[in-house]
Amino acid sequence: MSGDREKIFQAVREALAPLKERAPRPDYDPGLVSTVKAGEDLRKRFAERWRAVNGVLVDSPAALKAWLLEHGHRRGYCDPVLMEAVGKRLGPEIDVLDTFERARPDDYAFGITRASHAVAETGTVVLEDRTTSARLAALAPWVHVSVFPAGALLPDLQAAAARLGDDPNVIWVTGPSKTADVEGILIEGVHGPGVEVVLLLDDAAFPS
Amino acid sequence: MAAKEQPIDKYSRELDAEVRHAVHDNSAAGTDKRREILWGDYPAPDALRHVAGQLKQHVVENLDRYLEQAEDSLRKRGVQVHWAADGEAANRAVLDILRARGAKRLVKAKSMVSEETELADYLAKNGVDCLETDLGEFIVQVDGDHPSHIVKPIIHKNRRQIARTFEREGLGDYNDDPEVITRRARVYLRKKYFEADAGLTGANFVVADSGRIVLVTNEGNSRFCLAPTPVHIAMVGIEKLVPRDADLPLMLNLLARSATGQRLTVYTEFISGRRAAEQPDGPEEMHVIFLDNGRSEVLASDCRSILRCIRCGACLNVCPVYRQASGHAYRSVYPGPVGAVLSPLLAGKRFPELADLPKASSLCGACNEVCPVDIPIPDLLLRLRDRAKREGIASPGTPPMGLWASMATSPGLWRAALGAGKAMDLIPKSWIPVGAFQAWHASRDLPPWGGGRFRRWLKRRRAEQAATKEPS
Amino acid sequence: MHLNERPPPASRNVKLMATCLCDAYFDDVAAATVEVLEHLGCTIDFPERQTCCGQPAFNAGDWESSRKVVRHMVEVFEGEDPVVVPSGSCAAMVFHGALLEFEKEPDLGAIQALAHRTWEFSDFIVNGLGVTAWPGRFPAKVAFHRSCHTRGTPSGEASLKLLRSIDGLELTPFGEGEQCCGFGGTFSVTFPNISKGMGELKLEHIAASGAEVLVSGDMGCLMHLGGMAARREQTPRILHLAQLLRDALRAGVAREAPSTAAR
Repeated sequence: MSGDREKIFQAVREALAPLKERAPRPDYDPGLVSTVKAGEDLRKRFAERWRAVNGVLVDSPAALKAWLLEHGHRRGYCDPVLMEAVGKRLGPEIDVLDTFERARPDDYAFGITRASHAVAETGTVVLEDRTTSARLAALAPWVHVSVFPAGALLPDLQAAAARLGDDPNVIWVTGPSKTADVEGILIEGVHGPGVEVVLLLDDAAFPS
Repeated sequence: MAAKEQPIDKYSRELDAEVRHAVHDNSAAGTDKRREILWGDYPAPDALRHVAGQLKQHVVENLDRYLEQAEDSLRKRGVQVHWAADGEAANRAVLDILRARGAKRLVKAKSMVSEETELADYLAKNGVDCLETDLGEFIVQVDGDHPSHIVKPIIHKNRRQIARTFEREGLGDYNDDPEVITRRARVYLRKKYFEADAGLTGANFVVADSGRIVLVTNEGNSRFCLAPTPVHIAMVGIEKLVPRDADLPLMLNLLARSATGQRLTVYTEFISGRRAAEQPDGPEEMHVIFLDNGRSEVLASDCRSILRCIRCGACLNVCPVYRQASGHAYRSVYPGPVGAVLSPLLAGKRFPELADLPKASSLCGACNEVCPVDIPIPDLLLRLRDRAKREGIASPGTPPMGLWASMATSPGLWRAALGAGKAMDLIPKSWIPVGAFQAWHASRDLPPWGGGRFRRWLKRRRAEQAATKEPS
Repeated sequence: MHLNERPPPASRNVKLMATCLCDAYFDDVAAATVEVLEHLGCTIDFPERQTCCGQPAFNAGDWESSRKVVRHMVEVFEGEDPVVVPSGSCAAMVFHGALLEFEKEPDLGAIQALAHRTWEFSDFIVNGLGVTAWPGRFPAKVAFHRSCHTRGTPSGEASLKLLRSIDGLELTPFGEGEQCCGFGGTFSVTFPNISKGMGELKLEHIAASGAEVLVSGDMGCLMHLGGMAARREQTPRILHLAQLLRDALRAGVAREAPSTAAR
């Protein structure tokens, strides 16, 4: 297919050759789409937007435990790094495992993983491949819990785009998996989680 | 009369009323949602569309440079880059990658280019099971149907039809509750992800300077295609580039708002290479196949601005013709206003077969008004109409313009016709053997002829004005 | 060309482009245009050799025929005076369509010159002459159909500004207002089913709004909608904006006359 490469480049160059001049790159401020004001309370904005996309927000392991019990989720996975700070505080009523066995994905009602950042502007959680202990644990269970410290809150998408870095798989998650394919009716929980929970910890409570 | 019908008008006439209403209502709702979220958040959203349009036009006109840069950046990230001049080459590239791994089962996220290349059929013929995982595309696939909208593939189907399909395919007893339909698909497809040997996606954007592809979805199927599977193949049109990561917020923002009325889609994925070393799940290798398939020809034409398109579907939703005719009327992968431009162009030598598509527009311009990259779609439709005429392609029902032009350039003849037109009022309508006249009169009255009356009125007025002025 | 940023017209000596539809069917619309512009102190020149703007052939894809007609129009309307057109689509043909089909033609410059001094009727009144409020009276519920060729031009806002200022006039918004009525020139006869479907939807929305009068700045849309409405049971009265402005003016004068006498 190296032949195809040459063919394509030649065709593209020939197509562009007659242009007397080429459209310049617009000189624009990438921040022009930001809707976050300077000095805005990011925690408040995040909470508002996260709830607007039907996300659940809790601010302590105890509150998480209460929410899980209330909704009948008694067995799940927790990132080993978060075991001390979060996983162990859910017991004994809740069974928390620190390995995700892909042969039995439906055995886990929830999966708790770290998020590297979150975006206040849109109510978005940022998962990076290097710090997400298992892609499947963040995806297969009905409930996904993202844990991050308040200091990881970014104002807007511009800030988040600037931090994409060299991680090979960054995912911005904005609420539960959903579809409106059937007659435009919104259904949550298609392939991914039907419920997205954020456990927002104070910086000191998050494992370093 | 029937032989002179435009194919899209005929399709609309024969379209099931229920389907037409579903398409209309769903499209209108999409248009309203888009407007609310865009104008609710920004005082002047048109300024955003204009910048995004300039940015994409810049990419289109510098495609040679950006393609080289993207290839280089992707390779540095360990991505294997392939090139396919046409659909067949792209399909073969996919098959070669799969065969090298002994892969037999492919799970696939939504990708319009793979519709273009008819990848699923090709793979099936070559012994590979290719399964659509987007809910709408999955339903289309098991029904042996085609998607009818870029973003909402089954906008033309109702829940009862889907329930019957699921019953027939052994996915459970008849149940038309959308929630039950969705859960059943979830259970069925979940098993398939874990059995798959490879995952295939498209790409909404490819960032040239950082070497990452960007995928936007709501369902999470593209994430699942890339979690338990060892190989990731992305099939991408060569026009999908943006220069820098910093350009993404603008584009993503406009894409989600224009496509589904969301501020951001549920999942926005930035993928550049195999999984991280510490990560237990995910592909061990990643391939990007850049597909031309007629795009470089479009680039050479005076319609190259259509290559700005980011496939949001907003022009379909707002289009009055699409709302009346539905997507299948366009007989091609890309329906609606964007399709009416893109499909005949991508058809290459088969342009005459689709030359009627650019005619299917009242040139109302609503498509341009909502386009996140400000494509002047009506202008492009007009250019293609001119091209079709110059190439001598017949257009059913289009009145010939030669005689009219002769009259409109001869003022004497014109004035004579203004006087003679009165005869039209005097004879029965059915006697007038002009197709255009009959087509008009089938659903509307013509006003009484008034040719020359204004000119006479103005002369009288001038005379009266002169008469009242003179005495003073 | 940015219509929003153009300088005021060179003079109040207006060349009227009446449009072929008014020439053949809607003489009262052209007459109202004359009366309204004269009321504003304009002198009207109607070049007798005018025919059509070239739009039918342009939209049909026969650009060669269209260019012939456009060249004739350019010749007929030569000079420096502003050209005023009581039709959004014919005006757009002059300042947009013609430029597109003459892109590679040697006489593009002449087309551009005409484009620069051609105004849609309401745009001319509001942005050209600076008139932002209309005297007179028009006590009715009015639906305004913003014909499609005013998209991206100042005409829609200009028309609304005038309508809103008229004493007694109540604007009634209606559903899917941004949608086309289904006329589209030759589209209405080459796609009769879709055109009809679009028109019916428009008329239903307007009927649901309770409007007594349907007004627009384009006789193409109104000929199509009026022609369909004539076959329905309940139809609004159909007026071009120029007719409504003229009627408002007359009604205002009639009403004010006694009070003037009392003074």
